[in-house]
Amino acid sequence: MTDTRAPGHAASGAMPATTAPPAQLSSRHFLGIEGLNPLEINGLLDRGNVFADIIQNNGLFEPPLSDMLRGLTVLNLFFENSTRTRVSFELAAKNLGASVLNINVAGSSVKKGETLLDTATTLNAMHPHILVVRHNCSGAVQLLSQHVDAAVINGGDGRHEHPTQALLDALTIKRRVGRIEGLKIAICGDIANSRVARSNIHLLSTLGAEIRLVCPATLLPVAVDSMGVEIFTDLEEGIEGVDIVMMLRLQTERMEGTETPSQREYFNLFGLDRNKLMRAAPQALIMHPGPMNRGVEIDSATADDVEKSLIRTQVEIGVAARMACLEALAGGGGAP
Amino acid sequence: MTDLLLHNARLLDPAQARDETGFVRITDGTITGVDAGAPPSELLTAAAQTYDCGGACLAPGLIDMRVQSADPGAEHLEDLATLLRAAASGGITSIVTLPDANPVIDDASMIDSLTLRANRIGGARLFLYGAATRRLKGKAMAELGLMADAGAVGFSNGTRTIMDSLVMRRVLAYCGMLDRPFIQHCEDHHLTAGGEMNEGETSTRLGLIGAPAEAEAIIIDRDLHLVRLSGARYHAAHISTRAAAQSIRRAKDEGLPVTADTAPPYFMLNELSASTYDTAFKLAPPLRSEDDRQAIIEALADGTIDAIASDHIPVDGDAKAQPFGPAQPGASGLDTLLAMTLSLVHRDHLSLLRAMELLSLAPGSILDLAGGTLGEGAVADLVLFDPQASWVVRAADFASSSRVTPFEGLPVQGRVTASWVGGVPVFQRD
Repeated sequence: MTDTRAPGHAASGAMPATTAPPAQLSSRHFLGIEGLNPLEINGLLDRGNVFADIIQNNGLFEPPLSDMLRGLTVLNLFFENSTRTRVSFELAAKNLGASVLNINVAGSSVKKGETLLDTATTLNAMHPHILVVRHNCSGAVQLLSQHVDAAVINGGDGRHEHPTQALLDALTIKRRVGRIEGLKIAICGDIANSRVARSNIHLLSTLGAEIRLVCPATLLPVAVDSMGVEIFTDLEEGIEGVDIVMMLRLQTERMEGTETPSQREYFNLFGLDRNKLMRAAPQALIMHPGPMNRGVEIDSATADDVEKSLIRTQVEIGVAARMACLEALAGGGGAP
Repeated sequence: MTDLLLHNARLLDPAQARDETGFVRITDGTITGVDAGAPPSELLTAAAQTYDCGGACLAPGLIDMRVQSADPGAEHLEDLATLLRAAASGGITSIVTLPDANPVIDDASMIDSLTLRANRIGGARLFLYGAATRRLKGKAMAELGLMADAGAVGFSNGTRTIMDSLVMRRVLAYCGMLDRPFIQHCEDHHLTAGGEMNEGETSTRLGLIGAPAEAEAIIIDRDLHLVRLSGARYHAAHISTRAAAQSIRRAKDEGLPVTADTAPPYFMLNELSASTYDTAFKLAPPLRSEDDRQAIIEALADGTIDAIASDHIPVDGDAKAQPFGPAQPGASGLDTLLAMTLSLVHRDHLSLLRAMELLSLAPGSILDLAGGTLGEGAVADLVLFDPQASWVVRAADFASSSRVTPFEGLPVQGRVTASWVGGVPVFQRD
C-alpha cells in the first residue's frame, strides 16, 4: 500500500518505531464506545498505531504479532450487507493468525425464519472465540452477546453504535494531526440514522475534541444537544473554522421528499464542495466512513483531494484499529 | 431632491400610530420624508411632481397574503397582467400567490420565472409561496431550500391541508431551518369529506352535506403540537370559526410563533347566505354560523387574528353555474378587500389604524416583506383612499376578470383613489 501520511505525523515511519502493549478492556465484549474510559480508548489507539505503522510500511505481519490470535476462530456474522467492514475485520483477524469464517446471514437461515437468538444458540454450539456482529436493529448485538460464550465485537448495530469505525476515525486523525484534544470536528449529514455519528460523538468528545453536528432539521435527533455537541442546520456556518469535516452517507430513500426533498437540493444545502469547504480551517481535513454518494453529500473534487481527503487512509487504518480490538478481546477472556 | 410630493393627505401609519394630516416625500422609490401639516413652499416648488391628496387617507399599500393566480394554467380566467392590475386598483401593492397553479409552483425555476414576468408587467408586486409538497399531494416534501433561495416568501400546501402528521412535521422542520413561515389551510379533509356547506341547521334544512366547523380547529390544534416540536413560524390562513380563533389565542398566550388571517366573507357573511343555493356563497372554508362570524370579528379586534387577506380565487362562471354541491368553491376578492375591511371601521369594530395594520403592516411582517409603514426609508408602496365614498358592489365592474363575488349588490363605503408601487403610480381613478 502507498504511504499517504503527510510529513510530520506522529509516527516516524521506520518499523517498528512505535511500541505499545496489547490494549486492555474491562468488558468481555466490545459493544460500544459509550462507557469506555479514556485509558481504554487510548490503549486501543496506541496499539492500533503500532499495527498501522506496519500496514502503511509493507503490511507484513510476523511473529509474535502474527501469532496473537493463532488457534482462535473469528466468526463474521453480518445480518446486514457489508463489504468494507467485513473484509476489514477478516484481514485484521488473519493478520493476527486467527481462522476466519464469514457468515452472510442476510442470505441464510434468517431468511428461513430463524430468530436472532436461535441463530446465536446454533453458532454458539460451534464454539467460536470471537463474534463480529452487524445487525440493522439497534441493540441486537448486545442482545446476542448475552446468549453466547464468545467475545462479541459490534460491527454496527442499527442507529446505535459502530465502535470500530469511531476508533479507526480517531486513529486516522491522531496519526495525521498528532492529537484529538482541542480539535474542532464537524460531523455532517444524516445524524439521526447514523451509528457512526453516535460512536464518534462519544469517542471524540471523551478525548477532548469539540464536536459540532451539521444536518437538516429533519435529520437532527431530538435532544442530541444533551450529548455535549453544538448543532447547526447550515453547513457553511457549521464548518466555520473546523479542523476536521466528517461527512456521513445519506441513504437514497431519505432523498425522495421524505427526510429531505431531493438529491440535488441536499447537495445544494448540505453537500460538501470546494466553495463550502473554504469556510473550514485552511488545513482542514475531510473524512467519510464510506460508501460515498458522490454528488450527494460530497463532490468528487473534494472527496479525491489528495491534500485534504483522509477517506482512503481511513480504510487503511481500519484494519489496524480492528486488529487492536480483536487482540484486546482475545487476551481478555474471549478464548476459552 | 424629491421625485414626488404627496400632500394634503390624512396620513395613516399603523407602524407609528400616526393619524394626522400631512405630506410624504418620495425619492428613488423610497419614502424620504413624512411630516404633519402643509409642506413648506420651497418643497412644493422643488419637487419634480406634486399630488394633492384632497384630504383623503394615504396609507401603506395593502399586502394581500392570500391570492390564487390562474396563471399559469388557466390564463383565460385571469392572467398575471390582469391580476396585478386588478390588485393595484384595489389598493393592493403586493400580492402573495398560492402554489395552486397548473403546473403547481413546486420548483425554484417557476418562482424565478413568475417573478421575472411580474417585474416586466409592473403593477402590484408579486410574491410567491412555494408548494410544501410535490404537486401539493401532501406526501413528498418539495424542494423548499431551492425555492427559498429563489425567493419563496413562505411555504404552503395551498387549499389542501397536509393530513399526514409526519410529512407536516418534516415540512415544519424545514420551514424552521429555512426561516420561512408555513401557511396552512386548516381543514381535516377526512372529516369534511363530501361536505357541501357548513354543518348545522341550515345544511340540514337545505339537504346539503355538512362539513363540521371542528375540522378547522382539529388541524390547528394538531399543528400547534408540531410547532412546539419544530419551532417553525406557523400561519393559519382564512380562519373562520370560534374554535380556531380560541386555539390561536391560546397559542399566542403561550408565546408560540403563530399568526392567523381571515378573509372578508367570514366577518361579513354567515351560512344563511347559502339558503338560496346561490353558488357565489360557496367558499372554502364554508360560510359559518353567526356565532362564528361574531367570534372572527372579536378576534380581529383583540389582535388574535393578525391579518385580513382577500382569498381571491378566479373561478370560471361555468364552474359556478352548477347545483350548490358540485359548484366550485371560491370567489373574487381583490376589488372588495379594502371596502369590506372598512365596513368593520364604519361599524366601530376596528379603528382605521387597526384596519390598516390588518391589511398592510401585519401581513408584511409575517412574511418579512417591505412595506406596511409610512416611515422614512420605507418603500414607497402607497394607497390613497376615501373612507367615506360610497358605491355598490357590482362584479361586472370589477377590475379583476374573475367576476364572482358573494357581495354582489352590497352598498359599501370606502374606495381607492390611487396607488403607487415604489413611488410609481400603478392606479388612478378617473
